[in-house]
Amino acid sequence: MFKSKKFIDIKNWINGIVRSEIKNAMPVLTYPGLNFTGEKVSDIVTRGEAQYNCIKILAERYPSAASLMAMDLSVEAEAFGSRIYLRDNEVPLIKSRLIHDSLMIQNLKIPKVGTARTFEFLKAAKLAAKNINNKPVFGNMIGPFSLAGRLFDISEMLVFTLVDIENSHKLISKCSEFLKEYALMYKECGVDGIMIAEPAAGLLSADMCEEYSSTYIRDIVDYVQDDRFMVILHNCGNTIELVESMASTGALALHFGNAIDIMEILNKAPTDRLIFGNIDPVSIIKNSDSHKIKSTVRNLLEKAAGYRNFVLSSGCDIPYGTPEENIDAFFEALEEYNKELKI
Amino acid sequence: METLLGKIAYCVEFGKINKKAPYPPDMKDQDGADELTKQALDQGINADMILKNGLVTGMEKVGIKFRENKVFVPQVLMSAKAMSTAMAHLKPFFQSGEVKHRGIFIIGTVTGDLHDIGKNLVAMMIEGNGWEVIDLGTDVKPEKFVEAIKKHSANYVGLSALLTTTMINMEKTVKEIKSNTSGINILIGGAPVNDEFRIQIGADFYSPDPQGAVEYLNKHVA
Repeated sequence: MFKSKKFIDIKNWINGIVRSEIKNAMPVLTYPGLNFTGEKVSDIVTRGEAQYNCIKILAERYPSAASLMAMDLSVEAEAFGSRIYLRDNEVPLIKSRLIHDSLMIQNLKIPKVGTARTFEFLKAAKLAAKNINNKPVFGNMIGPFSLAGRLFDISEMLVFTLVDIENSHKLISKCSEFLKEYALMYKECGVDGIMIAEPAAGLLSADMCEEYSSTYIRDIVDYVQDDRFMVILHNCGNTIELVESMASTGALALHFGNAIDIMEILNKAPTDRLIFGNIDPVSIIKNSDSHKIKSTVRNLLEKAAGYRNFVLSSGCDIPYGTPEENIDAFFEALEEYNKELKI
Repeated sequence: METLLGKIAYCVEFGKINKKAPYPPDMKDQDGADELTKQALDQGINADMILKNGLVTGMEKVGIKFRENKVFVPQVLMSAKAMSTAMAHLKPFFQSGEVKHRGIFIIGTVTGDLHDIGKNLVAMMIEGNGWEVIDLGTDVKPEKFVEAIKKHSANYVGLSALLTTTMINMEKTVKEIKSNTSGINILIGGAPVNDEFRIQIGADFYSPDPQGAVEYLNKHVA
């Protein structure tokens, strides 16, 4: 189905999925590639080559419709100056808030793309774009409201949106300006799109999501999305009431977590967007067995059978340490389901 | 008296902290939970009544509205701030024993998880319902939970995780607590957690929202 990467027309790729008689899958799968490379999580998030090796080996092994770069929501905050905890086999965490008040927001400098580990992520993107030729490759970055929450402390940021609207927007604008350029740089590295993870917006009402997140995401989408580069908007929070706002960003695909019933989303979402979701990445994919994984995947595929824009995925990032046989079971369930469709 | 306690409950429900607080905009320049609680004490209203008919009533309404998606996390945080401000005035009455807590609840995020928003919401709601909350903070090692449970003779502990990568550490924490303490009830919560996961790891209760935890605790001490 997929030709040389250089010529992927992303809208054709989407149409191919929608028109397909079988179901496709694209789990958020990067860290379990360490099962095969033998390296550590800290290698993936600090060295572009290590991340590329992981993505490449997964691309060769599994029939995912596309390859995804690592989801590490500390990269962009670190570029702004946040300090991180880096541990061998855990995704990095932000140590403490960088911004404490309005004055600090005003003085906050927008970093250049390439600062800190963004350089390594872009290196991984360039290598993956060049060497993975049979399917699209998507980069990964945080969303503007979630990044603001990382810099300001998410609890404080949520309160700030109620008590200081003007400075809340100033901070999110700065985050968004950086993310626009970061997304553009991913595009220039040759990848076919980007997943924007905006989980903090799942804590907001629909109106606040529109004001503090979707408005800025729309700006990023307008800046980078075209026939060869798509935006996938991921939110693993409580998104049932946010679907309309998420779709209004113009992102060609929406990705949902396992906190919600994907059928409610499919009933609400526009049919011209791909809808990805939402097998529980920990309870099911990591912690259960092949039998349970297969029955859960099959159940979801059967429920969503009538939705041609549905793409099977994990609800969020599949963690490091997930057994190889569990990932195999996820794809075997898809294959078995598709075989029956063809009969 | 009822009017004043009703006003306190209203301030907690709508997140009006004090007179100078800009939120909510339609209560601008009005007294908040801070001033009204002080007024209530000055008028000789019993601290226990202020707690039960003011703070607890307000927080219960917020908890129910949150569950019903009528308010969202930012509004709940404002309510919790209003409640905490009022609670500070009641602290001497807890210390003197005039007002008694319903019980002790220990809470923290599990090892590796620095995200405290869910934990804070639950802690504030439970505190607002008259419990003494011992907040161990973030990235709490299993042995620290055990130590705190023993030190405070607590019967209830809450474990929180926001990330799929750190919820795995809940299992280790549950095992450590269960094997080193007795009679403890472990509550779990967080965005990636569900009841199926609770069963897998052997915890006692899961709630998708803070109010569920409040109701579970209150039911156990009723």
